[in-house]
Amino acid sequence: MSKKQASPPRRAVIVGGVRTPFVKAFQELLKLDTIGLGKIAVSALIEKYHLDRAKLEGVVWGGVIFPGGAPNVGREIALDLGLHHVEAMTCSRACASSLQAVTIAAAMIERGDADIVIAGGSDSTSNAEIKLPQKVVHALAPVTMGGKSGAMDYFQALAQLAPFTDILPQAPAVAERSTGEKMGEACERMATRNEISREDQDAFAVRSHHRAAAAVAADRFLDEITPVTLPGGKKVFADTMIRADTSVDKIAKLRPVFARKGTLTAANSSPLTDGAAAVLMMSEEAARALGYTPKAALRSWAYVGVDPADQLLMGPALAMPKALARAGMSLKDADLVDMHEAFAAQVLSVVKMLGSAAFAKARLGQDQAVGEIDMDRFNVHGGSIAIGHPFGATGARMITTMANELHLTGKQTALLGICAAGGLGGAAVLEAI
Amino acid sequence: MSDLLVDLSQNPLFKQTVKNLGLPIPTPQKLARPRGPWVDRPLHDKVVVVRAAGELEGALAETLTRAGANPHVIGERTEAWRAAGEAYGRPARFFDVGEIPEGLRAAALVLDATGLANPADLRALYDFFHPWIGGLRSCGRIVVLGRPPLELSEPLAAAAAGALEGFIRSVAKEIGRKGSTAHVVYVSQGAEPRVEPLLRFLLSDRAAFLSGQPWYVTKSAKLTPAPTTRVLDGKAALVTGAARGIGAATAKLLADEGAHVICLDRPGDEAYASKVAREIGGSTLMVDITDPEAGEVIAREISARFGKLDVLVHNAGITRDKTLGRMKPEWWDMAVDVNLGAITRINEVLLKEHIASHGRVICLSSVAGLAGNVGQTNYAASKAGLVGYVRAMAPSLAKRGVTINAVAPGFIETRLTAAIPVVTREVGRRLSALGQGGLPSDVGELISFLASPGAAGITGQVMRACGGMFIGA
Repeated sequence: MSKKQASPPRRAVIVGGVRTPFVKAFQELLKLDTIGLGKIAVSALIEKYHLDRAKLEGVVWGGVIFPGGAPNVGREIALDLGLHHVEAMTCSRACASSLQAVTIAAAMIERGDADIVIAGGSDSTSNAEIKLPQKVVHALAPVTMGGKSGAMDYFQALAQLAPFTDILPQAPAVAERSTGEKMGEACERMATRNEISREDQDAFAVRSHHRAAAAVAADRFLDEITPVTLPGGKKVFADTMIRADTSVDKIAKLRPVFARKGTLTAANSSPLTDGAAAVLMMSEEAARALGYTPKAALRSWAYVGVDPADQLLMGPALAMPKALARAGMSLKDADLVDMHEAFAAQVLSVVKMLGSAAFAKARLGQDQAVGEIDMDRFNVHGGSIAIGHPFGATGARMITTMANELHLTGKQTALLGICAAGGLGGAAVLEAI
Repeated sequence: MSDLLVDLSQNPLFKQTVKNLGLPIPTPQKLARPRGPWVDRPLHDKVVVVRAAGELEGALAETLTRAGANPHVIGERTEAWRAAGEAYGRPARFFDVGEIPEGLRAAALVLDATGLANPADLRALYDFFHPWIGGLRSCGRIVVLGRPPLELSEPLAAAAAGALEGFIRSVAKEIGRKGSTAHVVYVSQGAEPRVEPLLRFLLSDRAAFLSGQPWYVTKSAKLTPAPTTRVLDGKAALVTGAARGIGAATAKLLADEGAHVICLDRPGDEAYASKVAREIGGSTLMVDITDPEAGEVIAREISARFGKLDVLVHNAGITRDKTLGRMKPEWWDMAVDVNLGAITRINEVLLKEHIASHGRVICLSSVAGLAGNVGQTNYAASKAGLVGYVRAMAPSLAKRGVTINAVAPGFIETRLTAAIPVVTREVGRRLSALGQGGLPSDVGELISFLASPGAAGITGQVMRACGGMFIGA
């Protein structure tokens, strides 16, 4: 088990965050790519906190689907905003990418590399580049790019491509490279293996929508979202997928998506989403000196890997106890728990394993279960199923919402957990300041 | 060395034709074999039907779920299955005796027969296997677990335990044509924690060519932590006769598990030995094992390069076949010296202080040594001699955690068997439950298992890799 981490000499703090509305892929935000979305979030953040642009030192950006010609999205955002002096990098840890960006920024600040950094992430599933199959590239590239070619060369290249069925461009899918399995298929197996029923998944999905809808109704997200102006001048003000009026009865009618007799549906899975989120981070001294009121700090974080061929999305069940141990806490000490909802079945599987003594013994080497999660403290404003999940932006959204929640409610600690493709899990403990 | 019948039998039309016409042509099943090194879940997503009413329920629940199997349990829902199922996300399904869900086929059938008190209790064998055996997939596995008859104080219980061996040997012959295999595992009291690695091996594709034999799991050698992958990481191994055949295959498999392998062969075979060593990132040592100094030379090499040796595989051997009346004395001497004398002399030097504690020694015997063969009095004597040798050596070595076992290959497709006249070779291949010859790697897999830390429960035994030969012990 992990030991408690020593406190760093400098503390990195979260001043605040902001995000774009989260919008279903291929809808309103279609014309904005991941750089465009990131630019909106970062510029809104700078404006919101009246940040002196000259003082900003770095951008750490997370993402999953990168534009082929400009994979360092963070730098492109900085350049587009005229922030030439701001160094920038881009990282990927699948769905935990912007949590990764935040923890990289925290480490930079704690180490003294920088005082003021913007961390965040974005993704535009709508703008995923449709890839040509490798077979086409291998057959045609030598002819089209390899110097002189005659008509015969083209014919020969084309002949290599038969049968033609496997050269059609493939639609983007969230599939594992190592196993070939789609994430939904993997989670469908997790639902079976951890005995998570369709009813429980649907009930959880409805809860996510109702919680998020209540937050919207109470204007809780208003401060966290910046409106997006579309190229035509139209504006998008709010998340578009939260449904206050959904019910278990309504979504019970939906057909399973990933297996004929499966339990995962469009309603109890997170949707493909476009969006961006950014977090302003500073050293505590810098924040105080500039007159900011920091909202929270990272007490610990942890990342883990599990075998993707076993239970792909079980990572948080290992990462969350690890982050808790590093923070010197147990689960019951966490006033809030916020978990990324890739699928209701994945959340419920992880929650079940956190409560299982058998799992703790087998996988964590401890006799006691990590603990039962008090549902009153859990995903209090809903999660990715209702709000949406732009892969690269979700971690920064969660950090922002939880930092605000600690600040608004006077609670002390929040535990975050995110599952990610490749069998990864990430977790962090936020503490109030 | 392709086997035409195995290849043809993969064709359903050929198989059906043979069956419909009633032709006396065997249609052996192509065996499922592993595609890479040891994996964490060798039984991933496989249906294993298990009846664990005996004393090994906990061990079986842990072993099967950890290995990735989906347990289908005949009997009551118990805490052992619930906890193991929950921990590894492998919830067991429960059935009554004789109840078979429509369309369900098992990859393996496992019966815990430790509780049998008398011959009447043997009915449990029939009741469990009779309904399920038809639904066993090809290349399936059957394993029965019991207590060693000699450790049972009640003669009736010992009779029931002894009966398991006869049952398994017969079942092995019945299911062999479908590539399936059967084993009985006798577990000593207190040796329960040593069962898991053996079951993981026997139920996996790695045991493709092993069938119809008893395994005794004892607690005499200490069990050290047994990894499930890269099982020989950082260990030093020496394989004699590593230039070709079983030796080369074994060297490769040991290297796949992370061992540095010294490929030893006689001067003159440098080219082959160094080719093997280069492929696996090992080293070569050219020594004639019959040289009286051989032990010292090997010892010096080990001391200089590794300190101690973790795995020692005595694979080198020769045949000098002639019926006894026609055999020249040199041929007798040569076979006995290479196959037996050299091994004992080398061990005498190495076992003193050059084998690491918890080391593994494996000597290649032969089914011919167990069953006898015309023209092989010298060879069989030497190979049977090894059996007596490992039995005698095991108890004292066990005190240091070192195990010593013999491996007896049956018909293996090598350079030696390829030279056999075609008719004899064809007969030899079919004389086993699996109806085919094994590959050198099949023997190598058994050796690798015996070389692994998890094989601590097995020492002083002779394990066959013979596909369930109709001859032999």
